[in-house]
Amino acid sequence: MQLQAQEGLLFTYRSGLSSRGLLAWVVALGLTAFYLALYFTEIFTPLALALGLPSKWTLYGALYTLVMIGGGARYLSKHGSSRYNRVRIGVNVAVQAVLAFSLPFAQSKLGAHEFYFSYLWPLKIEYLYPATFVELPIYLGIYSVVASFVAVPILTLRYGKRWYCSWVCGCGALANTFGDPWRHLSSKSERAWTVEKITVHSTLALALITTVIVAANWAFGATHPDFAAFGFEVQRFYGFFVGAILSGIVGVAVYPILGPRVWCRYFCPMAALLGLLQKLGRFRVAVKPDMCIACGNCSTYCEMGIDVRAYAMRNQSFTRASCVGCGMCSHVCPRGVLRLDTKGAAHARLPVLPSR
Amino acid sequence: MRIVIIGNGVAGIEAALAVRAMDRQSSITIVSEESDYFFSRTALMYVLSGQLQRRELEPLPRDLYTRLALSRSRARVVGIDLAEKSVRVADGIAPIPYDRLLIACGSRPRRPPWSGATLGGIGHFVTLADLDWLEGEVGSRGAAKRPRRVEHPWVIGGGLIGIEVVETLLALGYRPRFALRDEWFWPISIDAREAGWIEARLRSHGVELRAGASVEGFEGEGRVSRIRVSGRTEPCDLAVVAIGVEPNTAWLEGSGIALEDGAIAVDEGLMTSAPDVFAAGDCAGIVGPGGRRRPQQLWYTARDQGRVAGARLLGEPARYVPGLPYNSAKLMDIEFTTVGHVPPRGAGHSWTFEERGPVQSMLRLVVEGERVVGMNALGRRWDHSVFRRFIEEGLSLAQVIARLSEAAFDTELVPPLVIPAADRARGAEVS
Repeated sequence: MQLQAQEGLLFTYRSGLSSRGLLAWVVALGLTAFYLALYFTEIFTPLALALGLPSKWTLYGALYTLVMIGGGARYLSKHGSSRYNRVRIGVNVAVQAVLAFSLPFAQSKLGAHEFYFSYLWPLKIEYLYPATFVELPIYLGIYSVVASFVAVPILTLRYGKRWYCSWVCGCGALANTFGDPWRHLSSKSERAWTVEKITVHSTLALALITTVIVAANWAFGATHPDFAAFGFEVQRFYGFFVGAILSGIVGVAVYPILGPRVWCRYFCPMAALLGLLQKLGRFRVAVKPDMCIACGNCSTYCEMGIDVRAYAMRNQSFTRASCVGCGMCSHVCPRGVLRLDTKGAAHARLPVLPSR
Repeated sequence: MRIVIIGNGVAGIEAALAVRAMDRQSSITIVSEESDYFFSRTALMYVLSGQLQRRELEPLPRDLYTRLALSRSRARVVGIDLAEKSVRVADGIAPIPYDRLLIACGSRPRRPPWSGATLGGIGHFVTLADLDWLEGEVGSRGAAKRPRRVEHPWVIGGGLIGIEVVETLLALGYRPRFALRDEWFWPISIDAREAGWIEARLRSHGVELRAGASVEGFEGEGRVSRIRVSGRTEPCDLAVVAIGVEPNTAWLEGSGIALEDGAIAVDEGLMTSAPDVFAAGDCAGIVGPGGRRRPQQLWYTARDQGRVAGARLLGEPARYVPGLPYNSAKLMDIEFTTVGHVPPRGAGHSWTFEERGPVQSMLRLVVEGERVVGMNALGRRWDHSVFRRFIEEGLSLAQVIARLSEAAFDTELVPPLVIPAADRARGAEVS
């Protein structure tokens, strides 16, 4: 394999599976059924126990890891000519296999506290719920706080949200491996951009409010039973709606129809928070001046639905809050116009068309 | 004011956008035979290969024409009436009157001069109609209809369109024969050593290269079945001819607008010989060094000329002053950047460096006297604008080599180019 910086030869994502054909709908419905069964029934529990796994969730983790490895191999067979892609996917798979699967599995086998180092508040919202927090061994408690409130801002300001969304996070890693065949399906419309800004920040607000209410409930619930009931309802609603429906069913089952980053783009509270930090930090997509031929490969293969070409055509380096820095726009550019770098956020306004 | 723009390509649309950036009052009519929407012509190969869909070639939202009040007429222009100030169109459509006119009608493929060139199965790859035709011949991945069975495809012409069609045919599972008139691929831009790398990539994918080929004619009944090349007759059931493009100006013969070598003669302000008529893009002959007019047939030059033309249509005093030339391409999986004056066929003095190892690349710096005047690069990504500055500042070879990293544009994690001391010393000697 060559350690090349460039795209390689032509590829296609136009099979029926990748272009909303019948097979795509079958897969989407199958995934929906799978998630409904996983979240709301116990039909996987006997299988998990028969395999010697402690719960259906461990079985799910094993499947998740396997699917990611297979999808990663497929992705690299197409786009492995780039060292950025190879290293990134390698880290994704390693983080999943070690931090998100093997370690918690070993911890549960050894009777230690099961802990997912690669998931942080507000994505793993319960890690800062006081009731959960006080149960954590002291070093894990310190880890949770330091990771969310020190490491996240520093790393994001320095490298952009990609350090998390495209290198560490399991949701992003699944999207970039198993979900890669559908990356071009993300909507590039301005309307989708408007919707995304509303929904993703709403979920962030919901996550913050839920955390505060749950904390207040922990502190005062015992003396205010009405509030305790309300707080419990809020917590339950967040777990059901955001945790199960949005990140599980909507997040993965719609891959074949709406693209692999629907959860990340429209709903993930962590992505929203990192996006705000990204706008203040050093990450940008740098545009080489006057070299764009407007071919559209960058926009087409942007999984976050960013119309990269609109910026490239107008020589505008840019920092978009939603950009997860997967690097595909740069990778598929046949003229080498785009480069992810950390030389300072670029606050370009989109497209510079005369009507605006 | 009534502004009419002939051509919905990059020069025409950039002119229209430039007008609208300054002026909301004038009416703008864009006349195009080819397409209702502006698209990236340089990306046609991606549609044929299945990497993009047609709609994805359109850089602008479709409703932009409405939002900016750019009216369109889908028609073939057949002439201009300078006295009446109107554009004549085919098929009985009423003439379109103008106060100011921009001709941005682009290029058309150079017709093959060989016998049998009108047989079926022979065509070009320049327009949307060509894309339809070639899709019908070879299919495209993801296309619904099954194409006819092509067994012996030929691509004729050793330039960019030729190699793009070859790469696309490879992606579609064909093994094309690639006939080059010259002794190596693309001699106008690259030297024998650079071409050797590209040709090795082509061969390793099963392309049969015919360098120095002299095409003599096609044979067949209704449809091509054989090609006569360099004295031999060989099977050929599809031929894509890519032997260059020429200004699309036949319809202007006798109109009173001065042509020079087929291109519309324009001054620095892109004005033609006729009052209130401007020309931009591939069809315009621009005064170059030595005073001769030549068309500049690149996406970049058409874009820049379109912007100047937009200002001129409003009477603004703009000039098209081409800076140092530059261009980019992708030759198979190898990216190419060129800046400045690189003589054809590798002529002139150059310093060359070939990088082997995990990253493979080639770099050639062309030197005149003490100064670097041009560069060709394959395999790595470079910011041409930095090289342009090096050349404009008159840096010596040793200075450019010392400052190469400033122009690097490789993806993160790609190890930087390191020029060994011995090769640096070669640079110092040449300087």
